[in-house]
Amino acid sequence: MSVLQMILIALFIYLGSIGSIVGNTIGWYTLGRPLVASFVVGLILGDVQTAMVVGIPLQVMYLGNVTPGGAVAWDLSYATYIGAAGAIVFGQGMDATALIGVATVFAGIGGLVGQLMWNISYALNIPLNRMAARYAEAGDTQHMFVPNVVMGQAIGFVCRFIPAMIVLGGMTAASTQADFASLIPDYVISCLSIFGGMMSALGMGILLSFLLKKQWYMAIFIAGFILVTYFHLNTMGVAVVAAIVAIIYYQIGSDKEVA
Amino acid sequence: MAIENPAIGPAIPKKISAEALKKSFWNWFFWNGCSQQAESMLGMAFGQAMAPIVDDLYDTREDKAAALKRHISLFNTEAQVGSICNGIVCGLEETNANGNCTPEVIESVKVALIGPTSAIGDSLWVGTIIPILLTICMTISQASVAWLGPLVYMVVYPVGTCLISWKLFQLGYKGGLDGMQSMMASGKLDRLTNAMVLMGLIVVGALTASFVSCTIPFGIIGDVVDAATGEVTQAVIFNASSMLDGFFPKLLPLLLTLFVYHLYAHKKWSPLAIMGLILVLAIVLTAIQYSTGYAAVAALV
Repeated sequence: MSVLQMILIALFIYLGSIGSIVGNTIGWYTLGRPLVASFVVGLILGDVQTAMVVGIPLQVMYLGNVTPGGAVAWDLSYATYIGAAGAIVFGQGMDATALIGVATVFAGIGGLVGQLMWNISYALNIPLNRMAARYAEAGDTQHMFVPNVVMGQAIGFVCRFIPAMIVLGGMTAASTQADFASLIPDYVISCLSIFGGMMSALGMGILLSFLLKKQWYMAIFIAGFILVTYFHLNTMGVAVVAAIVAIIYYQIGSDKEVA
Repeated sequence: MAIENPAIGPAIPKKISAEALKKSFWNWFFWNGCSQQAESMLGMAFGQAMAPIVDDLYDTREDKAAALKRHISLFNTEAQVGSICNGIVCGLEETNANGNCTPEVIESVKVALIGPTSAIGDSLWVGTIIPILLTICMTISQASVAWLGPLVYMVVYPVGTCLISWKLFQLGYKGGLDGMQSMMASGKLDRLTNAMVLMGLIVVGALTASFVSCTIPFGIIGDVVDAATGEVTQAVIFNASSMLDGFFPKLLPLLLTLFVYHLYAHKKWSPLAIMGLILVLAIVLTAIQYSTGYAAVAALV
């Protein structure tokens, strides 16, 4: 990675993190999603093809990563930008399953760093309350943005951009040392592939914990499963079937209400 | 500015300008999470969002200070759906400025709004709508060119969310607390949530089948004699995974997913702990594969 590429990726890590300057809708929930993040990394590093090979599985793994009540389980922005970049830098010449394994490992490293930095910024933001209270006490409506946006963002930026540059710099330095694809033994690649494939179960399992509100909902989940395994529908076909079921369910409810 | 007569109160009822409402919404939409912390959660962001409204409604420095102080206190919600809270509070401040509401009411309503709006936002919006939209975009990527999915998501999600968030803000301002209650009590919201959940479950089932992989690296390898040529070759004569697949395709990925669900939902394992367990499982499976010599032969077949 060139310095410019590292700066761009670190900048997007900051933008995609929770509470960045562009807002959570555009940042955390769009730029921070693995599907979008890997696409952006692909554009920056000039390898959209490889980026998307790992982007979709990473998105499945982290599909259940939501932030209920503001508790960040895993810093997705860090995880996927670092994960996709790791796959492109270190995965030259690997096949798809091995690439996904490499991306999963780097995403894990990135996610850990990200979670640490989130906790730090979360703590550093607390004194800003004193500042906000002073402006409020003065009735200064024109400066209420200072503690929230200016100071909050200064802390957020420092906590994301600088550690990201360090991690990316380390990756770049390591990648120039040797050709990793040929150095890594077969069994490590094989293990990473198995790990990557099984990690998807994490995203699905967590998502199920939000969705399985009643026991019998399990049958609906299995229905979606066998539509693929027995009926060989692709996911788009299943999504259409799912939409139809949702509409019918909603309509039956409204009809009952009218009657 | 209305000329105030202390004896009869303001001559013209105060009204928040459309400009101030828009400004307030944008402050919230962009910067709701900027200074999140454990003490007041989104309090400072809420205070900033209310600043244009306060400026519009109150004239004296004391009144502005009192209003700002009540809005930098603890507040939390799922901010995108929670813009309805901002709308409701704007409406209440307007009523207060006209002398028909008290600061105590505003404060208690704000606190009361935290629970229901967070619940709806987290479960319906973040837990259901976003994963479904992401899934549809992943499908687009798989079915056509890879970059189309993220591109569609990057346009549809922010624009759609912004519009809905603004509609909810306006609904809160115009309909107030009654508007929100009637929406929640009508049963429509419940049905909509359940319909989305059913859709989500079917899609998650399909994703599980397509993406989760897990095999048992166990098989019996034996010499197979080719009847025609008499050549003896090594081959897998019994394969545990393909036997299981013959009886229920992808049974193992399904069981693994349900196991992770069980650990997360019922045993309260953290995602990090589950990740660790999966890594250990992957290492064990790899070790079995290599120690039995299955890997070498399986690669041939």
